[in-house]
Amino acid sequence: MAEPPDAIDLGRDRDLQGRRKDVWVRRSLLALAALVPILALFNLFGQRPATSKASVPAATLSVYAPTRLRGGLLWEGRFHITAHQEIKNAILVLSSSWAEGMSINTIEPGPSNEASDNGKLEFTLGHIPANRSFILYMQFQVNPTNVGHRSRSTSLFDGETKLATVHQKVTIFP
Amino acid sequence: MDLAIRALILYAFVFVLTRVVGRRELSSLQPFDLILLIVLGDSIQQGLTQDDYSVTGALIVVGMIAILQVATSYLSFRVPRLRPILDGLPIVVVEDGKPIRKNLHRERISVEELTEEMRLQQIASLDEVQWAVLETSGSISFIKKNDS
Repeated sequence: MAEPPDAIDLGRDRDLQGRRKDVWVRRSLLALAALVPILALFNLFGQRPATSKASVPAATLSVYAPTRLRGGLLWEGRFHITAHQEIKNAILVLSSSWAEGMSINTIEPGPSNEASDNGKLEFTLGHIPANRSFILYMQFQVNPTNVGHRSRSTSLFDGETKLATVHQKVTIFP
Repeated sequence: MDLAIRALILYAFVFVLTRVVGRRELSSLQPFDLILLIVLGDSIQQGLTQDDYSVTGALIVVGMIAILQVATSYLSFRVPRLRPILDGLPIVVVEDGKPIRKNLHRERISVEELTEEMRLQQIASLDEVQWAVLETSGSISFIKKNDS
């Protein structure tokens, strides 16, 4: 038999002694890498929106927005108020986590007044007649350094009276 | 700090990925592979710097990648036990003119691919080959028989 080239160990490099498990390590790591896009298909890393609702006799408040986001993503929050009774002065109050580390690109239709309620965002939407809907659209972009878990809440008021609140848990991936 | 951590995570991910996808896939650059390489680079860049267009950001990322690259190669040089993990090991795929099928199968190389590689090195027949070794770089080196 001819001599193998220098530095070639026939036991190790031809008969693969001691290297049998390498291929399984490789396959396992590859499976791990493939797991990331598979989990992404199941919305683990966002940004598929979901609806959260709070319903009271006076009104229903629906928040349609993703709860899993990633840095840099553009996303929409849709606030749907259905008045079962007349709401004289609808005010939407968003917790500070809606705005913290986010760019708010647009709010449509523009609220008649914007204010701060102890750090929360307060949007005055005005009168909503009974059995009518009001939909507020907000477009956001995630600040890339805004990573982690947080809670956010959305409350609907009629003047000083709180009607409904929607609570959500948000996860932002790097 | 964020950019340095991003660079570290992506470097580690790409390093592991290049070690596990198989060396032949990385060494043969068909037109499609070339496009994939560009797409890969672009995807990594977006995750790496995102909307940071600053020179400082570029210095952090490039500096971090340079440090990681040197650290990896230093580790491979200084710690021989890590070399098989960091660089891989060669695999003998032909001995005395006969392909070693289990080794070819392990690296997902067909005999046709092997003979194509052989022809590129001006070798007409496997009978002329004493040893063929799949190197850690993904290229195949052929050592001819003494009488050929």
